Amino acid sequence: MMARLARAEMPRLRQMLFVAGAVAALEAVNRLTGVSGSLLVAEIIIMMVFASSLNLLMSFGHMVSFGHAAYFGLGSYGFALAITRFDVPAEAALVFGPLLAGIGGLVFGALCVRLTEIYFAMLTLACAQITYTVLFQWYDFTGGDTGLTGFMTPRFGLSEANFASAAMVLALVCLYVLWRVVHSPLGLAIRSVGQDRYRAEALGLSPRRVQLVAFVISAFFAGVAGTLFAVFHGNAFPDYAGLGFTLDALIMVVLGGLNSFLGGVWGALVYTLLKNFVPLMTAHWELILGLILLAIVLVMPHGLAGGVKRLAGMLGWGALR
Amino acid sequence: MLRLENVHASYDKSEALRGIDLSVTPGEVVCLIGRNGVGKTSTMRAIVQDQITVTQGRVSFEDSDLVGLRPYQIVRRGVGYVPEDRRVFQSLSVLENLRVPSAKAAGRRQWSLDDVFALFPQLYEYRRRTAGVMSGGEQQMLSIARSLLTNPRLLLLDEPHEGLAPKVAEEVVGAIIELKAEGVAMLVSEQALHTIRRCADRVYVVDRGQTVWDGTVEEFYAHPEITEKYLMVQ
Repeated sequence: MMARLARAEMPRLRQMLFVAGAVAALEAVNRLTGVSGSLLVAEIIIMMVFASSLNLLMSFGHMVSFGHAAYFGLGSYGFALAITRFDVPAEAALVFGPLLAGIGGLVFGALCVRLTEIYFAMLTLACAQITYTVLFQWYDFTGGDTGLTGFMTPRFGLSEANFASAAMVLALVCLYVLWRVVHSPLGLAIRSVGQDRYRAEALGLSPRRVQLVAFVISAFFAGVAGTLFAVFHGNAFPDYAGLGFTLDALIMVVLGGLNSFLGGVWGALVYTLLKNFVPLMTAHWELILGLILLAIVLVMPHGLAGGVKRLAGMLGWGALR
Repeated sequence: MLRLENVHASYDKSEALRGIDLSVTPGEVVCLIGRNGVGKTSTMRAIVQDQITVTQGRVSFEDSDLVGLRPYQIVRRGVGYVPEDRRVFQSLSVLENLRVPSAKAAGRRQWSLDDVFALFPQLYEYRRRTAGVMSGGEQQMLSIARSLLTNPRLLLLDEPHEGLAPKVAEEVVGAIIELKAEGVAMLVSEQALHTIRRCADRVYVVDRGQTVWDGTVEEFYAHPEITEKYLMVQ
């Protein structure tokens, strides 16, 4: 009986085919649309990792963070500071981004999980503002509002297309790890605490500890995205930890669809495309973007992932969960 | 194994319990009865320290004090708790619901998934179903099964028959009898005794936050005035 039960948790063939198809499509766009296409693909991929890290908290832990960019920014700065202030070789510095973000997640998370719901959200916002302010004002160390620039050749000198491909491989690894987390006993603990912390506690789980672990994992992967972003542009600015990036991530997750693993992926894809193309068409792009987002949310209450799932169901595929 | 002595407890400022005394010995099924709102649920909550503050008195389990511990710490010591609203994790499957506690087992008898499926065969049949769409009775079975996977030596069941059809309620009684045979001690709250008279050993009557009577099931039936005074709707 148990062997049969365990098999259900392995990725199914159709899901793997879907992932392979998506990778092939992105890689085709990356290779066939020139430099601007590759830059766009790289940005989409980085945002997919960032949004998916927030999605772990929101969709599965039911923890709404209003300060997720803090960990994205710490990722960028962990990487950039290791090179500029501690003379770590750039390749080795890559680990310091996610590491600093994870440590930030541990410190701020320990504080935030003491509260729940809106109070939790406000604390995450406060922690992010603290991070932003420190990055913005500590001129001697972080470079203040001018950020850190010129410490490396952007993308380690890789061509735009090769960087996008490399980012894609890394993103696949990150998404796979996140997928495994969600489907592990820890993921179940995160989901059960998210749905009903009192019930989960009555079953022997410590809600705060579970939430803290989720918070650190989420911060770590936001840090991976932030590090990639710093490599992509060859710089780090306080804005990376600012409200703008936090809002982008929130919009991506909600747009993509809560309660779905692929919510962050779909949201990052569509939102990044809209953000890049709508401004080319009109000067009032923010208004148009807002209207498009409103329309999507109204038409697809379960987000893009929910919409895709429904469409797949109508077509009889039923694999795109 | 469980002992409550003169327990007073309150939610914020409002006092819910004003002197609860009770005990449960190993392997025993004890019934807590009383009208709606007299403090049965609060008593259960005071035992596992769930959303209520014990302001006076002592709650002990196997000679260690429970007041001040977190609910999960109490559960890990071997007290299973199936609350009144039998909240299952709605969007998780039956199997996932059952796996939530399995990572945290601590007790003497190690319950496995196969064990609870043997006790509640329907759960195996519905294992892939989303818990939220199951009937009330099925959710109650799931809620009990899930608590068993914390390996409790004492199980608290808060009004397990509430809102269940008589036939389903009978299945729950069957499960209680089987668990009793397994040696699991239980504290069961009910609005009336008749639903579980077949398996209860002793009875406590609660009124206005206090235990007002206790005795065996036979003694309870020998004193119809108790029912009249504390349990009839006035």
